[in-house]
Amino acid sequence: MIEVASLLKKEGIPGDLFTHRIFSQEVNYEANSFQGYKKEEREGYGLRAINPEGKLGFYAFNRLLNPQEAVEKALEVSQLGDRVDFSIPTYPSTWEWEDFVDPRVENLDAQEMIELGDYILSRIRKECPQALVDVVISAGREEKSLLNHHEEELKFARTFFGVGVSANQTREGDILEVYAERSWGSRDIDVEGLVQEIVSKLEFSQRVADLNSGKYPVVFTPSGSLVLLIALFYGLNGKNWVFGRSPLEDKEGKVIFSSLFSLEEIQEPWALGSCPFDDEGIMTRAQKYLINKGKVESAFWDLWSAAKKGIKPTGNGFRGSYRDLPEPGFSSLRVKNGLRDSSTLIGELEEGLIVDSVLGLGQSNVASGYFSCNVHLGFYVKGGEIQGRVKDVMISGNTYQALFNLKEISRDSRWIGGRILLPYLLVEPIEVNK
Amino acid sequence: MMEVLEELIRLPRKGEYMEIRLENIFSTTIRVQNGVVERMRVGTDEGGYIRLLAPRGSWWFESFQRWDDLKDKVEKAIAGASLLPQSNIEVVRRAPVRDEHKVTLPDDFRFKSLEDKTSLLLLYDQVLRETSPFLVSSLVEYRDEFRQIYLANSDGSLIYLEEPDISVSFVATARKEDNIEIYRNGVAGKAGFELVKNQETLAQEIGQRAVLLLEAPSFSGGVYDVILDPVLAGVFIHEAFGHLSESDTLYRNEELKRIMAKGKRVSSSVLNVFDDGSLDNLRGSSPYDDEGIPTGRTYLIKDGHLDGRLHSRETAFLMHEEVTGNARTINYRFPPIVRMTNTAIEAGEASREDLFSDIERGLYAVEYIGGNTALELFTFSAAYGYLIEKGKIKELVKDVVLSGNLFQTLDKIDAVADDFRWTEVGGCGKGGQIGLPTPTGSPHIRLREVLVGGSHND
Repeated sequence: MIEVASLLKKEGIPGDLFTHRIFSQEVNYEANSFQGYKKEEREGYGLRAINPEGKLGFYAFNRLLNPQEAVEKALEVSQLGDRVDFSIPTYPSTWEWEDFVDPRVENLDAQEMIELGDYILSRIRKECPQALVDVVISAGREEKSLLNHHEEELKFARTFFGVGVSANQTREGDILEVYAERSWGSRDIDVEGLVQEIVSKLEFSQRVADLNSGKYPVVFTPSGSLVLLIALFYGLNGKNWVFGRSPLEDKEGKVIFSSLFSLEEIQEPWALGSCPFDDEGIMTRAQKYLINKGKVESAFWDLWSAAKKGIKPTGNGFRGSYRDLPEPGFSSLRVKNGLRDSSTLIGELEEGLIVDSVLGLGQSNVASGYFSCNVHLGFYVKGGEIQGRVKDVMISGNTYQALFNLKEISRDSRWIGGRILLPYLLVEPIEVNK
Repeated sequence: MMEVLEELIRLPRKGEYMEIRLENIFSTTIRVQNGVVERMRVGTDEGGYIRLLAPRGSWWFESFQRWDDLKDKVEKAIAGASLLPQSNIEVVRRAPVRDEHKVTLPDDFRFKSLEDKTSLLLLYDQVLRETSPFLVSSLVEYRDEFRQIYLANSDGSLIYLEEPDISVSFVATARKEDNIEIYRNGVAGKAGFELVKNQETLAQEIGQRAVLLLEAPSFSGGVYDVILDPVLAGVFIHEAFGHLSESDTLYRNEELKRIMAKGKRVSSSVLNVFDDGSLDNLRGSSPYDDEGIPTGRTYLIKDGHLDGRLHSRETAFLMHEEVTGNARTINYRFPPIVRMTNTAIEAGEASREDLFSDIERGLYAVEYIGGNTALELFTFSAAYGYLIEKGKIKELVKDVVLSGNLFQTLDKIDAVADDFRWTEVGGCGKGGQIGLPTPTGSPHIRLREVLVGGSHND
């Protein structure tokens, strides 16, 4: 593919070629039985080219075609493209970074994955013989590279490993489903913690608790916290600032959340998403505050949006796939943790709710921050004790108000999707409808 | 290509079931935002898969991109599958089918220039933005896609299909200070360029709707009598009952099979629900599903009683029922799984006005933002709604999210109107396969005592 870069150089066309390669394997179990093995190998290319008039063109392909054809197609598209205010980055030649490749993941074979699956299944079945358990184990390697019209190249590879488990318990008039996952760049995921999480969720769910509609303090678990973060991701998207549709665009430097709340982008090597450079060749920073003690510090900026705003990109241009142009996004995130354990927070709840997962995430007005969701898995707490699972209950509120009304953040955190490190968040009040 | 496939499907000789899919996708996506062509992408995506089940074995699935060395891939799949654990998986076998379905489009988008496509979008974008000074952002996204698909399987079937898909969607963002409202809508279909032409009125309506929502109050949460418009009613039945009719959710769950037993009363008698992948030219339609089974109509609910469910070859075999042609994949990267095609509530006899007449205080919920289901629980968000008072439609309201439970909500449908229509925009996600076209159809329907989220701000 260097030929494409050479051609760009020869013709004096600024441009870059993004390459994404993935090899992945998966085993899955359905309702306590082994179902099958899948493997996939794919690669794809996305070519950006800026024509002499300064207009951007893009062509994506996964089949090797001749370099001339790829460049011609991108230039053809560029004639109708947007006149862009950025230039294609140059890459540092002296910069060194490591790939994050765990040979134990890269060389994993189907048999080992099946052994692990069998083990997880037997552990959960032993503790909860009545449950029907689905397990998905996936592993693989991905590689991203960029080649620009100076014939400079950036390359980064990582492995990924993930286990997702859901357990189902069906009775007349009641279908219960609980889910837990662990994902990481290396083989070191906490399988015991995962099993324990499923088992305790099933145990706490055996009783269905009743509660009345009203306003309650709510403890959002790490996975439940996503309810509050979805709208924030929209608000922090630099493109939404440029287009005037983010409520945060005029709040930079202002304190609008609880001083307990800090959100930062971090480069934790084995966290999925962490990377030395983003998908357009801008170096990522080791650590960057988006929200610091309640104050809006920064947002996610790709080249395009940063140029429109007249600022420097922040290394936040990411592509959904090789077929997509970069959009503002993030690598790995962390919500700063607090001082006391989640168990203490829950133990001190006079009366309230724990929300672990919801239905309808992101299906309210993400722009204004409004959310209204059905609680998929949640527990009613009274006198500091979990009374049982709640059913047919909705929670609603506004992300911006809720993060202002944050009462406490737990000391303990967990990685969600191997990419966002989240503690438990205690918010009061949240509207509950039944 | 057919000759190559013909030879390949004879390779497994020990009673294995094998499928090969080869697929070529040509697509164009253009996105105009605030008067600027912000994204334009043309591309090709080529690939395929081999799926193989050894007798008493389990599934082997490999997805790839290159169509060369297919023989080698098949041989490796046969060897690989023989090493997998045993299971009770088996599939329904059928007589071989040889068929070829080519498509002719009235105004074929493949022969339209990028310039033609772009200038139309710029026009819509302008119409949208000029609706109101409160519109801070307009987005018009166009997508066309032409697929060529080869399916071959151990029945000896060889099928070639062409599948066009085209859509244009509009997103309007209106704003007054920190009050921001997004409203979106569009058109989609198995059609040519003619479908996306002359949509200026729609663009304008979308802009106006976003601005109207700025002034609308949030709906107060609680339990209400609700009328769903045909669009939202379609999403409702998809979430509330469609997903549970997909047999892969229950074929290994004895208790759920009992709950979902055929003939059981599951709703009031006014309700009739079907899934039909053989309807002419809807986005969920195809002459064959992705396992090469002819599509057809399956009644899920007849006069309030559970009548049937949706099957793949595998679930039909294990449940000793007929295949229904509902195994679908979004593309060559994923195996076919049990999915809906075009799912609908059949028209009833009431007039739309009848539905409203005896509601003292209720909600008229219109169009949708999204929907979700987790077996018995489901939720669906309306794009907007209206208060109903004494049978009359009153003020516009926003932030309308409804939720329900399989065991109670279907029974609350007490009236079905006669104004049936299909909705083609939108897609469904399941098992990591997101964006599958699953049109829904319905007339207006009425439900009693539905839980609606929201604050008590009155």
